[in-house]
Amino acid sequence: MKLVVFILNKDEFLEEVLEAYVEAGVTGATLVDSEGMGRFLAYEVPLFAGFKDFMTGSRPRNKTILSLIRNDGTIETLRKLVDQVVGGLDNPGVGIMFSLPVDWASGLAREETEV
Amino acid sequence: MGTLARMVRQECVLLDVDVSAKAEILSCLIQSLYDAGYLSDTELLRRDIMAREAQASTNIGYGCAVPHAHSAALDKSLLAIARLAHPLEADTPDGQPVNLVFLLAGPRDSAGLHLKLLSKLVRLLHDADLRQALLSAADSQAICHLLLEKDT
Repeated sequence: MKLVVFILNKDEFLEEVLEAYVEAGVTGATLVDSEGMGRFLAYEVPLFAGFKDFMTGSRPRNKTILSLIRNDGTIETLRKLVDQVVGGLDNPGVGIMFSLPVDWASGLAREETEV
Repeated sequence: MGTLARMVRQECVLLDVDVSAKAEILSCLIQSLYDAGYLSDTELLRRDIMAREAQASTNIGYGCAVPHAHSAALDKSLLAIARLAHPLEADTPDGQPVNLVFLLAGPRDSAGLHLKLLSKLVRLLHDADLRQALLSAADSQAICHLLLEKDT
């Protein structure tokens, strides 16, 4: 089982990204409103106000999608679908997607109810 | 020696500066950088620093101010320090007057380094023992030495 984290900067893709999750077989995920460190520093900490110029084009907010996925094949399918939806995960400013191994979890949907 | 300590020049550490306004301190510090031969254009740096000051206060509290700017007036990052003879009443987050001023200036194309240096300087200044040591240091050499010790 893995925790898949996707910090999506371009939230105009959110709907399509979640559709990709469902298509890949991920039945549940948690969405968190989040914010990049650079933008917070430049706009919320007076000392770093001089760095606003370097934040041109950055988004005020991003979305973090958390999902626990049992099947590595599902993760691979998800990665490919998301890559298509956002036009390439490696393009600057799109977001960051990664997975972490999980050694224990409780409260998940039963495996047979997963698509 | 850490990156920050390398930016300090002893001749740009001014002790017991007697001023009544932040702009005066900035002038003294900018002049010290010019006199030491690190600056090509004092007016340009002053304008860049004042433009940054106009965006938001660089008074960080606990008696410290960290005016800073990227500027075409210099080609490497430098730190000049002033310890004031009399605490200066100023608009500060904690209401404490300013008695230590750290002017950090760097070239326009080194925003990443500037951000790193600024963050490190502020982290060091969170240390009350260091601030007290800077306030009671005997001379500019001692101030440089204190930063050298802390900036590892």
